[in-house]
Amino acid sequence: MKFPRPSAPTLLLLPAIVVLAAVVIVPLLLSFYSSFTPFRLTKPDTFFVFVGFRNYLTILSDWNFWVAFGRTVLLLTVALNLEMLLGLGLALLVERASRGQRVLRTLMMFPMMFSPILVGFQFKFMFNDNIGLVNNALQALGLTDTAIPWLIEGHLAFIAILTAEIWSSTSVFAILILAGLLAMPREPIEAARVDGCTPWQTFRYVVWPFVMPFAYIAMTIRSLDVARAYDIVKIMTDGGPAGRTELLWTLVARTAYSDARMGLANAMAYFSILLSILFTVYFFRKLAAARSQIGAEW
Amino acid sequence: MDDNSSARFKKRLLKAGHLIALFLAMLFICMPGIWIVLSSLRPTVEIMAKPPVWIPQELSFDAYVSMFSGVGKGGIPVLEYFRNSLIISVTSTVIAIAIGMAGGYAFARYRFRGKSGMFLGLMLTRTVPGIALSLPLFFVYARLGIIDTHFGLILAYVALNIPFTIWLIDGFFRQVPKDLAEAAQIDGCTRWQAFWQVEFPLAGPGIASAGIFAFLTSWNEFALASQLTRSVNSKTLPVGLLDYTAEFTIDWRGMCALAVVMIVPALTLTFIVQKHLVGGLTSGAVKG
Repeated sequence: MKFPRPSAPTLLLLPAIVVLAAVVIVPLLLSFYSSFTPFRLTKPDTFFVFVGFRNYLTILSDWNFWVAFGRTVLLLTVALNLEMLLGLGLALLVERASRGQRVLRTLMMFPMMFSPILVGFQFKFMFNDNIGLVNNALQALGLTDTAIPWLIEGHLAFIAILTAEIWSSTSVFAILILAGLLAMPREPIEAARVDGCTPWQTFRYVVWPFVMPFAYIAMTIRSLDVARAYDIVKIMTDGGPAGRTELLWTLVARTAYSDARMGLANAMAYFSILLSILFTVYFFRKLAAARSQIGAEW
Repeated sequence: MDDNSSARFKKRLLKAGHLIALFLAMLFICMPGIWIVLSSLRPTVEIMAKPPVWIPQELSFDAYVSMFSGVGKGGIPVLEYFRNSLIISVTSTVIAIAIGMAGGYAFARYRFRGKSGMFLGLMLTRTVPGIALSLPLFFVYARLGIIDTHFGLILAYVALNIPFTIWLIDGFFRQVPKDLAEAAQIDGCTRWQAFWQVEFPLAGPGIASAGIFAFLTSWNEFALASQLTRSVNSKTLPVGLLDYTAEFTIDWRGMCALAVVMIVPALTLTFIVQKHLVGGLTSGAVKG
């Protein structure tokens, strides 16, 4: 019996597939199974009790879960859109600067070097109601007398988290969109101007379609690690006060490790995975579409 | 005449507006970092002062000295954490790059069935949130007895880094013209030789920056590390940062100092790779 010789790409991709299968896919299958059991870390036998969809039913009828789910989607939607807009603005500002481009570009990348957990910690420090930079500045400027409870009041805490998230990730958009702007040929812009386009029309119909694929690359990259928000939230509020900033991911961590209810947590985790995959596939398709629109080969 | 001067005035106003906007944006970007560095150098009394002290009165490196003088004096074993972080990040990066190079080359140079689907599939494994992945990994690792070891974390980080490394390296190999390797093969090189002597050196800088990117991901990772490490045996710096928080108090100055220790290597490395990084991510966006 002779096996057919595997082709070169198969061989080359094999190590990647093996590692990913061992570390990601097999554990995920395991967790998929355990989401159908009442598994608790403290009681190993419960791993073999099959309860069907009970965990999922528990989650689906749990109001707290839906609130966390809605809040996660809200955070992602608002954050991604604002990051996109701000990143575009920042890229346009830097592109127009006549001098000091290199320095500006380096400064622009500054937040990318911060570990999300550092971002969380540093904004926790700055939004501290007693000694934080934000309150100190507001009081020094005479805008307010009271200490604003940034991380203690639910809505304010959400805004604080949003600020941290946007600060840390806008530069991903800015740097990639800037790359697009710089790679753009000059002739179409000049042609548009000669034909009498207003600056807005030039931007909308000439520059933007060209920059779009770059924006989608940024979106895809961001959606690959949206769960980075876990680190930020974990440090800044840890889902508190009383669950008012609870995101899907902090909820999963709490259920799994503090309450030791692995089965239930796994069922929740599947929802969060689904969410991430949805985001990524959506942007990946957009990316492919935008690429083919400007005639790139894929 | 009047038209002329008003147009000139408008142009000047636009330029000033642009400069101000640019300055504000940069201030907003840099402020948090500057604040951290400043706070790490100030005595705790000054950080806590009410009303706030804006201009630092005295600067000292006390926080750094006590941090590196070991357990007991500064509180947390920073040196051990630093060593763990370094070992884990470097090893996982080297392995991820070796595997990613093979994969990236396959995507850049061969056509095969289901290529686009395969690429998306690889990316999707990266979308699994760290905290969701940590549950089954925790369970499997506990069974295998590799919780709180370097090996366990290295393995996890290799898997974490592979998809993105493949994406980047794929981009860099696409930038190297196919004809060069073909010419080398016509001149008598094997495909293996052509790869190492022609394509690899050309894509080299790009691959190096993919490596630095992978290093930074491991260096900064928190969600997985916080669950898969337990003690000084394998705790990394991001997890160690939490040591400064007690139940109700936080040692802000110590935390700021550790933050600076974490940022400095990241800063240096990112600075080196910034140019290549963007090139690798976007190649193929326009030119295919």
